[in-house]
Amino acid sequence: MEQYKGQTIVELEHINKSFPGVKALDDVHFHLRSGEVMALLGENGAGKSTLMKVLSGVYQKDSGTIRIFGETVENMNPKRAQEMGVAIIHQELNMCQHLTVAENMFLGREKKKGLVLSQREMNVEAGKILKSLAIDLDPTTMVGSLKVSMQQMVEIAKALSTNARILIMDEPTSALTEKEIEEMFRIIRQLRDEGKGIVYISHRLEELQHIVDRVTIMRDGRYITEGNFADMDMSTIIANMVGREIKEKFPRVHCEKGKKIFEVKHLNAGRMVRDVSFSSYEGEILGFAGLMGAGRTETTRAIFGVDPKESGQFFLDGKEIKINKPMDAIRQGVVLAPEDRKRDGLCTKLSIRSNIELPNLDISSNRVGVVNRRKVTQMVAKAKENFSIKMPNDEVDAGSLSGGNQQKLVVGKWLARDSRVVIFDEPTRGIDVAAKVEIYNLMNQLKQQGISVIFVSSEMPEVLGIADHIIVMCDGRITGELDIGEATQEKILELATRFENKIATGAAGA
Amino acid sequence: MEEKKQNPIKKFLSARGVGQVVTVLIGLVILCAVFNVINPNFLRQRNVANLLRQIAPWIIIGIGQGYVLITANIDLSIGSVVGMSCMIIATLICNGAHPVPAVLVALVASLATGAVNGTLVANFKLPPFVATLGTQTICRGVAQLVNNNMNTDGITGAKFGAAAKAMTNFFYYNKTLGIFNTFWIALVLWAIFNFVLAYTRTGRHLYAVGSNTEAAKLSGVNVSLTILKAYMVSSFCAFVLGLVVCAQTGTGTTNAGMSYETYAVAASVIGGISTMGGTGILSGVLVGASVWAVMDNGLQMIGTQVGLKNVVVGLIVIGCVLLDVVRRTGRLGKRKS
Ligand SMILES: Nc1ncnc2c1ncn2[C@@H]1O[C@H](COP(=O)(O)OP(=O)(O)OP(=O)(O)O)[C@@H](O)[C@H]1O
Ligand SMILES: [Mg+2]
Repeated sequence: MEQYKGQTIVELEHINKSFPGVKALDDVHFHLRSGEVMALLGENGAGKSTLMKVLSGVYQKDSGTIRIFGETVENMNPKRAQEMGVAIIHQELNMCQHLTVAENMFLGREKKKGLVLSQREMNVEAGKILKSLAIDLDPTTMVGSLKVSMQQMVEIAKALSTNARILIMDEPTSALTEKEIEEMFRIIRQLRDEGKGIVYISHRLEELQHIVDRVTIMRDGRYITEGNFADMDMSTIIANMVGREIKEKFPRVHCEKGKKIFEVKHLNAGRMVRDVSFSSYEGEILGFAGLMGAGRTETTRAIFGVDPKESGQFFLDGKEIKINKPMDAIRQGVVLAPEDRKRDGLCTKLSIRSNIELPNLDISSNRVGVVNRRKVTQMVAKAKENFSIKMPNDEVDAGSLSGGNQQKLVVGKWLARDSRVVIFDEPTRGIDVAAKVEIYNLMNQLKQQGISVIFVSSEMPEVLGIADHIIVMCDGRITGELDIGEATQEKILELATRFENKIATGAAGA
Repeated sequence: MEEKKQNPIKKFLSARGVGQVVTVLIGLVILCAVFNVINPNFLRQRNVANLLRQIAPWIIIGIGQGYVLITANIDLSIGSVVGMSCMIIATLICNGAHPVPAVLVALVASLATGAVNGTLVANFKLPPFVATLGTQTICRGVAQLVNNNMNTDGITGAKFGAAAKAMTNFFYYNKTLGIFNTFWIALVLWAIFNFVLAYTRTGRHLYAVGSNTEAAKLSGVNVSLTILKAYMVSSFCAFVLGLVVCAQTGTGTTNAGMSYETYAVAASVIGGISTMGGTGILSGVLVGASVWAVMDNGLQMIGTQVGLKNVVVGLIVIGCVLLDVVRRTGRLGKRKS
């Protein structure tokens, strides 16, 4: 039915785009054909999101040509893009929590009769689209009451409801579970076969093989290369992205297992944290594996004193410590790099410098509370160097960093203090390969210094690659422990799906 | 997911903002019953007629403030616009103008204020608190300037006294179907703006902007225009109340409408329109305005001191917001299955 299949539908030529202090796009070139899935790859801050925002009219290009279906578009804006069949699913969720699923799907192009909205018609149509995607959801549900993964599905449905012929997906899988990713891939293949052009941005290189036809690689705001996915091997792709070769994806250092540092006994905090007990030792990275929503994030929050707990004891170096609020934890050397960087990890409207300064004010200021600027500058330099955070200068808003660089900042701000226990909750989500390795190296470095590292991750390869001892959680309980020598993907998965009877099936939360 | 279709009552209550309105409505009925037990005159016809007329002002400006709050902004200039509108009308009439052009001039001045508020907030990205605090002061200044910082004489004694008299009667003293016109005016305004909010594209966009500005923008909603509309509605409502106040007093007073913007916030918030934006329905304003006026009237009828009355009303406002916060966080904090 598609006679256009294989025809070039998007041509971006010589695109330039600068932000104050950063040249985000430098003479970039990008082509997309109908009926293909094009992966757009590059490190954090390479300019992938910016390029796609230029294409979809969120940002105005400084110079260059945008041609869609052969038509040159001078002044692109979101509305125009939509009319031309360009739909984008942004890296960050963009839903109105207070509107229903259908209302969100038709936002900005509501159907109406005369002056009055045709609510019923929109509900019916939304229902149809959801059904065609095999998403079981009532279109009159409030979006705010849905799980993040379901909201992501609604975003996809919304993009499709515009009859998009060009669909851009900017890291759509970073918040989805395996099963939901499967589901999404099925939808992507379906759309591709209908002759749509799809741009797919992801840092999970291992998932590309399931859907991708061609690849475009960017680095430092520049176009590097493009080609058929089948003709490229992974190490070439990575080398092109990073600009050098990465030898080991999971660098591991060996340390002698030493004495017990941190122990948690019988921690209970709501339904998602039930009777959790574990210990971590010197010279060991303790991995927390499990499916999304297994209660690992809740456990870290309860330990850090963010959420109230019903019972439980903590021991640090053999002595019992009390943690009732985050300040208690920080004072005693237990720190957390949380999962949701935008909401919990950073003050996005403050500068990078202030973000690093904030949790360390007690050690960077003198007794009266005056901040020692030199000390702060040192801290910032240290974080920047350790993580190669890409930034124009340390006074720009943390929110203007690319997703991956924000994540580095979340981890980096704790580096300035001497901590005993560092908890990382999904530290590599949305981060590029090279940066991942940097974060693993950092964890290794901490481990060598005799600091207890607790590492929560939903990605099994990295837990298996980095942790020394693995704890598996399912539905708020610890369902098993594995030493790295005996751990395999199958064993972890088996433990991660040990639900109690059937009560658990509806459990939400991450 | 299966229960969804089985329980229409639950579904109705969970629809946008309905829960809070129903809760407060029940509270309102209890409140009226209690006042009536203490003083049986409370629900007599004469007092009810008065009560409805006392509710009207808070409905009128509650609508405007409600529109602005739904977009997650605030309008602090309402009270001053009421005063400015009242003073312009009275001054012009006293200086020999016919009421019709006088009212039109006040309308233009008020809408201009709304446009300025909207532009400052939407296009120049000023914090709404600061921007409308500025226009609040400016409009109060205008209200004082138009008649050299003096209250005006009675408008019915001016050149077009008869027309002015007709105006005061129409907007304040006359009844239609046994109910004061003022209340009908409030009700008509409410019906119009409720329709716009609930059934038109503009209304949907107001919610979207208040819920998530970024998402609205990326969906192609004209965010600036939407915010501008909200502020224009707010100023329009303030203008109408200015006219009503002028009709009531028959003069222009320089401090007319003083601190009414906070009462408008109270009427909206009691009725479940959150100051955080994105939630609430205009029926809430009807209920909220009623609670406000009933407390006012009822406490007076049972002989409470003004000071005590203020304390009680203040507590009610905080209580209603708390109720709303608990309901919201109760939902957000424990994500339900
Ligand atoms: N609104 C903005 N203001 C200032 N600088 C920005 C803005 N958006 C992006 N940048 C900068 O432009 C560069 C490219 O960012 P972009 O978000 O496009 O990267 P990306 O390839 O999508 O990275 P990631 O994989 O981490 O999402 C970065 O250096 C970033 O800091
Ligand atoms: Mg990006």
